[in-house]
Amino acid sequence: MEVKETYNGKIREATIGLGDTAVTVGGETSLPLYMFEGTAPNKPVIALEVYDTKPEDWPEAAVAPYADVLDDPVKWALKCQDEYKADMICLNLASTNPSTGDRTGADIAPIVKAVSDAIKIPLIVYGTANADKDAEVMPKAAEACQGKRALIGPVEEENYKTVAAAALGFDHLAAPHSPIDVNIAKQLNILITQLGLAPERVIIDPTTGALGYGLEYCYSVMERLRLAAMTQNDSMTQMPMINQIGREVWKAKEVKTPEADEPAWGDAETRGVLWEALTATALIMAGSNILVMRHPKAVELTRQFVAALTG
Amino acid sequence: MSKLIATSAIRGAHSLYNRAEAAYNAALAAKGADEPVSFPDTAYYLPVAYALLAIKVKTLGDIKPVLAKAKSMLPEIPAEGAWLPYLGNTLDSGIAALLSEEIIEAMKYVMGPNPVEGIWLGATDDVIVRTQGIKLVDGSMPGFAAVVGAAPTTEEAVKLATELRERNILLFMAGETDGKTMADQLNEAGVEMGWDVYLVPFGRDISAAVYALGVAARAAMTFGGITPAGMKEAREILMYNKNRVFAFVIALGDVDDEKYATAAGAINFGFPVIANTDIPQILPTGITTYEHVVSNVPLDKIVDTAVEVRGIKIKITKIPIPVSFGSAFEGERIRKEAMFVEFGGQKSPAFEYLRMRDMDDIDNGKIEVIGPEIDQMEEGKAYPLGILIEVAGRKMQSDFEPVLERQLHHLVNGAEGIWHMGQRDMNWMRISKSAHDKGFKIEHFGEILKAKLMDDFPAIVDKIQIKLYTDADKMKDVLEEARAAFIARDERVAGLIDESVDTFYSCTLCQSFAPNHVCVISPERLGLCGAYNWLDAKAAHEINPTGANQPIIKGETIDERRGQWSGVNELVRAKSNNSVQKVNAYSIMEDPETSCGCFECVVAILPIANGVMVVNREHTGETPVGMKFSSLAGSVGGGAQTPGFLGVGRQYITSGKFIAAEGGFKRIVWMPKELKEALAGQLKKRSEALGLPDFVDMIADETIGTTEEEVMEYMAKVGHPALEMDSLLG
Ligand code: SF4
Repeated sequence: MEVKETYNGKIREATIGLGDTAVTVGGETSLPLYMFEGTAPNKPVIALEVYDTKPEDWPEAAVAPYADVLDDPVKWALKCQDEYKADMICLNLASTNPSTGDRTGADIAPIVKAVSDAIKIPLIVYGTANADKDAEVMPKAAEACQGKRALIGPVEEENYKTVAAAALGFDHLAAPHSPIDVNIAKQLNILITQLGLAPERVIIDPTTGALGYGLEYCYSVMERLRLAAMTQNDSMTQMPMINQIGREVWKAKEVKTPEADEPAWGDAETRGVLWEALTATALIMAGSNILVMRHPKAVELTRQFVAALTG
Repeated sequence: MSKLIATSAIRGAHSLYNRAEAAYNAALAAKGADEPVSFPDTAYYLPVAYALLAIKVKTLGDIKPVLAKAKSMLPEIPAEGAWLPYLGNTLDSGIAALLSEEIIEAMKYVMGPNPVEGIWLGATDDVIVRTQGIKLVDGSMPGFAAVVGAAPTTEEAVKLATELRERNILLFMAGETDGKTMADQLNEAGVEMGWDVYLVPFGRDISAAVYALGVAARAAMTFGGITPAGMKEAREILMYNKNRVFAFVIALGDVDDEKYATAAGAINFGFPVIANTDIPQILPTGITTYEHVVSNVPLDKIVDTAVEVRGIKIKITKIPIPVSFGSAFEGERIRKEAMFVEFGGQKSPAFEYLRMRDMDDIDNGKIEVIGPEIDQMEEGKAYPLGILIEVAGRKMQSDFEPVLERQLHHLVNGAEGIWHMGQRDMNWMRISKSAHDKGFKIEHFGEILKAKLMDDFPAIVDKIQIKLYTDADKMKDVLEEARAAFIARDERVAGLIDESVDTFYSCTLCQSFAPNHVCVISPERLGLCGAYNWLDAKAAHEINPTGANQPIIKGETIDERRGQWSGVNELVRAKSNNSVQKVNAYSIMEDPETSCGCFECVVAILPIANGVMVVNREHTGETPVGMKFSSLAGSVGGGAQTPGFLGVGRQYITSGKFIAAEGGFKRIVWMPKELKEALAGQLKKRSEALGLPDFVDMIADETIGTTEEEVMEYMAKVGHPALEMDSLLG
């Protein structure tokens, strides 16, 4: 016997970037991967991380694939695009973090512009989730890549007006970020759309937990958002979702510890790659539409998983 | 609509149109129809024409239909004698004026002289509109002012500019009075101008004022996502400005016909006009949110009036006090040895009282210390302190007075080195030695309250003034008045019963950890955390209409005794993600309300004793139900309906609706001593109201026993009324 649910909700489609290389996500008419109950016109896509300054705390396994480009964001982005075939680039403005670099919006604007001009694929630009600092930095970042229809995030409850307005004013999309909380996610979507941003320009960032570091909380919040979207036709939860996987996974102790320190854990690269791929695949099952990842091999595994599931 | 204004505006529009037509014809003759026309660096063509008419002007030839449209909107100049003034005509002439002005300015770019000259900046490019627009949208720039004309003196011009800048209001300047412009005056005084400093001189000609509307129109197209296509979109662009762009016109000096016409144009955008001269007023509201034209306002009141008339909310970013401020300091205690002076706490007369006044009765932002300042106080002593806060707001209601007044506790505590406790005329405050050393004064209490109340409650507080009485004699009258108000408020709250209102409020704040939990807040049943009563929820909804507190229309009464209404059921169903179908507000046994986890007390039935026990969170000992509070909380919480158990706020215990379906207050057979003491007054009052003056003593506590048997023995001994009541289990 076959039991099928019918849903009255649908996830909105959102398009990032312009022209031939634009990427559309969302559009599902069933719960994630329930292909027997609905359609999913757009597969989950993978963005690779690029940082505005050379990261100092990455484990060797994560550094290796990018060793030659880590101190040049433009080359780094191009390598992700051309060699690792990323669907998008996620430029992280880590150096603006007040406790590390504290660079200003004016400092990073040229980097944002250079990267956005260099790549053909769509751009995601992420601040450091420091609400005050992002409110200063993100308008400058949005201006620097104006006209590219990038995805700007994170938009926090404390700075949503400024950051979402920057996305609105410079014609981008915005990623409201809620702390593993369905209600705040919804509330932020309501506030942002009231500000004037069309719901088709909103991608939910529900906060990502890596495997062993809150993945289950993240999963259940995403699941609840999807249930509300599909079964209750709750308009303010029907946006695609983005997960920042790379940066969460690669700071886990189980991933960072070198083999020399824990011989029983085995090869560090394999460990990291599997950890990242497992986190990514779990989140795809929870309904993720954009996966921001770090290691090319993890990306490869995740792609195989997507292909196997979606044919 | 004043006929004088109408006539002037219409005449002004005619004159501007004639100038535009002449300039256009001259340009056409010189350069031909294919000559490109544009303002620098904009994708919005001539923005006003594009926004209102959807015409994309790229060449001189494209201007023709714009001119034609302007002409078609020109009303006839009203003849002397009998003529009925008509708002529509004036507004049309305003649009015609703006379209004409934009053409006049555009022709300057084609034929010269270039509008960008000397101090004048001319047209605004798109990047600036976007960057400034972000500030408008996020509120860091609360609005903009378009000044036409010049101030009577240079000093007054500088003062006006300073006042606007202090409020982060962007100032546009265009048009002259007797050959002088405000920008000239600022320039003479050596004031630096430009976008970065919020002072933007557009041009000497009144027509340059249209650049301000060009910015407004583009803000609507960019941030409102509106693409011009026709009348509908044009109206949307105007409405966007009315509702979201808090701009206004300041007309300085003589208002001539062309200025009237320009002002009429601005009114179309919902921007009111404030004048310092005696021009006819247009007070009734309609197109603008509040009044259209307010005149004869003294220069030093212009900014306040404008802020009020346009409903602008100013954000205060930093509180001007010499100590740090933030929630981190709320928990601070100040011991006697560390204290510089104290107020109240039975040692000196003190009170805090917030009342609502009319808009006109408030001198916005004024803080007054009535009596000695801190420098006349001696270390270690107690002094009188009466805090009188007066607020006005278009959406303020007297019911919100206590809600705002209660904020005082955490606001004052937020200042480093300041401590506050209590409320009303039973408050107690200390200023620490270190705060005194840093320069904290009595007036700074006012600064904190002014900044935070305005900033945290922009939806209801438009204006505020604060009086701080440190002289016991001078505070007497106000104290009397405050006491009378406290009594009146208590009566109001006591008189508020569930039957007297048709709207309850929901609270879903706790859904972050109890996903299906909804508190239904009624006048006689507050939220179970004790933090939100009906008035709080009502105010919270007014302050944040999309927030966690939503109104519930009670709807049809399904069960009066148990407290069940159709509207409440529907809302609970929706907000609980369909997991709770119906609730009885007054029952613990049948479809009780859900409990999240932050309840102040748990009510649990003791079936054999035929009553209920109440235990508060602070009580750590055993209870007759066989569980301590912590394990009880674990089985009650999580957002489920648990018949026989109920999480409640303390104040609900003495409410007339306390488990009314099961017989109410008289069912209480046990509660911890501490809770009994904390609620002593209310318990006594409620007992008396029920005709059982000795009832409180019939309630057992932990000194009598912590098992159901012990409680029952005691009940039998004192003749507890629950023994006679219907069986709880039905
Ligand atoms: S317990 Fe308090 S905060 Fe929580 S939902 Fe109820 S009223 Fe709101």
